[in-house]
Amino acid sequence: MKWPETILNILKENGIRSISFVPDSVLGKILNLAAKDSFFELSTLAREEEGVGIITGEYLGGRRGVLMMQSAGFGNCVNALASLAIPYQIPFLMLISQRGELGEFNPCHVPMGKALRGTLDALGLQHFTLRREDEIETTMQGAIKTAYTSEQPVAVILSSELVGWKNEK
Amino acid sequence: MINRLEATQYLLKHLSDEPIIASCGNPKFDLASAGDRRENFYMWNSMGMASSTGLGLALARPDKKVIILDGDGAILMNLNSLTTAASKSPPNLIHIIWDNRTYQITGGQPTHTAGKADLAQIARGAGFEKAFSVDTMEAFKQLLPEVLSKPGPWVVVAITDDCGAPGRPPKSPTYIKHRFMEALGSQR
Repeated sequence: MKWPETILNILKENGIRSISFVPDSVLGKILNLAAKDSFFELSTLAREEEGVGIITGEYLGGRRGVLMMQSAGFGNCVNALASLAIPYQIPFLMLISQRGELGEFNPCHVPMGKALRGTLDALGLQHFTLRREDEIETTMQGAIKTAYTSEQPVAVILSSELVGWKNEK
Repeated sequence: MINRLEATQYLLKHLSDEPIIASCGNPKFDLASAGDRRENFYMWNSMGMASSTGLGLALARPDKKVIILDGDGAILMNLNSLTTAASKSPPNLIHIIWDNRTYQITGGQPTHTAGKADLAQIARGAGFEKAFSVDTMEAFKQLLPEVLSKPGPWVVVAITDDCGAPGRPPKSPTYIKHRFMEALGSQR
């Protein structure tokens, strides 16, 4: 399992120092590594939409940030994206850990998981899904570049094919 | 009770090039009326996000004192942001909340600060050590020099009337953004 390290290295190469997050067990693998690396500054959010505001403020000040959250938490961000990041053209990467697809044990994660891509599409936000280790480099590098050239948030979704699922019934 | 426009004008007189994040609703109207400047970031919507955006800017730019002009309705929508800001505690953050105890822009329906909620106490509970409430212009004037000169983070809850301001800020979000970033010398 090298994906957490690969993802962090790509963030670093792109000068993305600030990580705003609400954790989940998948993102925790990235966050635990990032916490040991002085390059990154981590900000724990109480609710995901705060991250849209924080990253907007950081960008206005000349610093790049990434918002890490679960698909459930993306639902908490919709109006902040629609009324702040999109019209003011604030670019950043959203790294979204997908729930509700292959191997889901919790029925209450399925509806938001199913709505994730449709909501991104309705907002006009581009999104790309990581399913295999060998896709990470191209997809992450490309998504970050497109975010900053288009001056819009772009989502990269971590699927359960890549990160696995809980062994729980 | 404080007149919000008068307090905003008084604040601007004591600033030079400090960036201001102004919430949607009346804080941005008062700020535009008191004086449009490149360092003003006006939010036309995204209710509640001024507190988080100001925090992000303060973290990215420790060289600048960052001022948030918020409203009671807006901060009540994002109270959790106070816990995040207090945890990060950037000393250059000044969060001013104009509290007129109503949703003024929608016709004056009472907010919860008209009932039992006390925003300065909430800020202290969130972890702000410097969170004060002022309800007269004299008290605001007395507190402001300390707020602008000593390390924070600060929360100042100013109890205001509900007079409206005549000014309107520029409306183009991208114009507001580019002008603001240029003024701050921010790399894109």
